[in-house]
Amino acid sequence: MKNYIIKSMFVCGAVFGASSTFADVNVGAIYDVTGSFSIFGVMQSNAVKLAIDDINAKGGLLGEKLNLITYDTQSELSKYTQYANTTVLRDRPAVVFGGMTSSSREAIRPIFRKANIPYFYSTLYEGGACDKQTFVTAPSASQQIKPLVEWAIKKYGPKMFIMAPDYNYGTISALWYHEYAKQFNGEVVGEDFLALTVTDYTPTIQKIQRAKPDFVVAIPVGPNQVGFLEQFTSAGLKDSIPVVSSNYSTANEQVLLTPNAGKGIVSSHVYFSSLDNPENKAFLKKWAEVYGKGQTISPEAVTAWNAVHLWANSVEKAGTFKSKSVYTALESGEINFKGPNGDVSMEPGSHHVKQNTYIAMGDDNYGFEVLETFKAVAPSYENQKCDLIANPKLVKHFTPKA
Amino acid sequence: MELDYLATILLSSLSSASILLIAAMGLAVVFGLMGVINLAHSEFLMIGAYAALTVTKAGVPYILSIPIAVMITMSIGAIVEMLIVRRLYGRLFDTMLATWGLSMFFMQLVVVIFGTSTVSVATIPQFNVSIGEYSLDGYRLLMILVAALMFLFVYLLMTKTVYGMKARASIQQPEMAQAIGIDSNRVNTLTFSIGCGLAGFAGAILLPLVPATPTMGLAFAVKSFLAVVVAGPVALTGTVLTTLGLGGGSSITASFLSSVIGEVFFFLITALLLWLYPCGISAKWRRKL
Repeated sequence: MKNYIIKSMFVCGAVFGASSTFADVNVGAIYDVTGSFSIFGVMQSNAVKLAIDDINAKGGLLGEKLNLITYDTQSELSKYTQYANTTVLRDRPAVVFGGMTSSSREAIRPIFRKANIPYFYSTLYEGGACDKQTFVTAPSASQQIKPLVEWAIKKYGPKMFIMAPDYNYGTISALWYHEYAKQFNGEVVGEDFLALTVTDYTPTIQKIQRAKPDFVVAIPVGPNQVGFLEQFTSAGLKDSIPVVSSNYSTANEQVLLTPNAGKGIVSSHVYFSSLDNPENKAFLKKWAEVYGKGQTISPEAVTAWNAVHLWANSVEKAGTFKSKSVYTALESGEINFKGPNGDVSMEPGSHHVKQNTYIAMGDDNYGFEVLETFKAVAPSYENQKCDLIANPKLVKHFTPKA
Repeated sequence: MELDYLATILLSSLSSASILLIAAMGLAVVFGLMGVINLAHSEFLMIGAYAALTVTKAGVPYILSIPIAVMITMSIGAIVEMLIVRRLYGRLFDTMLATWGLSMFFMQLVVVIFGTSTVSVATIPQFNVSIGEYSLDGYRLLMILVAALMFLFVYLLMTKTVYGMKARASIQQPEMAQAIGIDSNRVNTLTFSIGCGLAGFAGAILLPLVPATPTMGLAFAVKSFLAVVVAGPVALTGTVLTTLGLGGGSSITASFLSSVIGEVFFFLITALLLWLYPCGISAKWRRKL
């Protein structure tokens, strides 16, 4: 029996080995295409597909065609580890794009670390993820929250109230707001953490009224963000207390809101579809050709698009798909890409990208007006804590108090 | 503690409880009364919301979109009963499996038709009421009245009308009901579709408070199921009591402490009540509904 198992394993290995020799270069993608997080996942998954098709249409990478294999994790955490293992064992991908919540990223990061496959994460997050295999093209807290806090305290006053979801993204981001509030002489006058299942925000709204802040920081995720803003507006508070957010617009929450509730919400992000530059125009045109007109493109579609192109640039520089050489290329400090959101460049030590941060205000027509641009904002916290060139064995998730 | 703050908390907690009651009412009929575990029930709430949203977008006034949503969900409910639920009466696990599948089907169907996010409409009523220094969402307070009327309607329908008597007879003694000439199959179909219609009504009336998303039903599913389970055999009155106690209580806890503790309160008290009253709190009541 034992012999039989070993034999059959050899056969399997031979079959897989053989198929991979003749196949194109596999690229893995793991996104929540269905379920409650599909509001984020579909955009990113579509962007990755668009980018891969774009590269293939131009003759592929190093003369090889890229074969995209997408897994739908159905907004369930357990599916992430399952499919990450599947793609590693079955597809032997050259690179994997994916992950949505911070918990999902932390679930699959170790799998790619062990398999030594470059992994690109492009969802905005609390910052601090650090290991040799992980590359982040989305903004981290130091890129998004810092400019926002600085801007809001200057504009509205020092007192802020924080309402955040109750899981690692929310709690760590809240720590960041505290940190930057201190730095810019602000004060946190109250905070409330909400479980993802909460749909009734009245208790929070009362606490906000009681604390009398100069502005509210609202970072619930997806539909919860919409529900909160809707209820906040209906309670008649939006005109007296401004709302700022470092994740609003990530999943196009603005189109779910009644136009009145969306008006005046301030968001800080790395991309708004109203940006006026040739790369953005070309990107929007390409998107409309493939996926139809009238879609609002979320920032994460752009960070996912950038991720694929940054990886492709590093493969071209390395001249091979081999992980080790790709890391060296990505850490060369010479991997840049002109994306729809302006110039992005891979920071050698921290594996995060330097990019523009925009502060924009929602209008009553589901759009945004850019109020201020912070050019080439570095992921300063990650750069300071995480140097994977000096310390390639580093595996950590840095948080402000850790 | 100032009086106006206290009043706001009490009023808003009452409205939170009312919203839970509105969401749970259909379930009280389908699960509490008929004993059918319909895991797709909360998807009917979602379908109601999407129906109301779609017809409002087409130019129908919001208030008229509500009866349309009810009719749509009632018809879908009747079809589901005839095609699936009827064939599985008395087979608890099979019903659960079938309706669970159905719920996934509905959810994905809505994603396919409407996409993952849907544009909302501006014609939905928004107004506010202020009490002392605090201001409250007026539409939310209106839900207290809606919940009371909804309960009264269902209660009178089930106790005072001929249909209500037939419905209860068909559920409790189907053979006897048939013997005296009641077409119990048809009555059951109607009762099930009324339950679904109530869920559709909830989705439509709560649209200004809860945005329509494919997964919106999930937010209500767990809590309303628990409220109905804790309520026990006297489904309607029991559910009023449990939604008031659990929903209102968790909202008050959330106001004074934190939202997380509010959630903990809900589930802890539910567990405690089920431990004390395994058949629901109304197991020994001498009322009918």
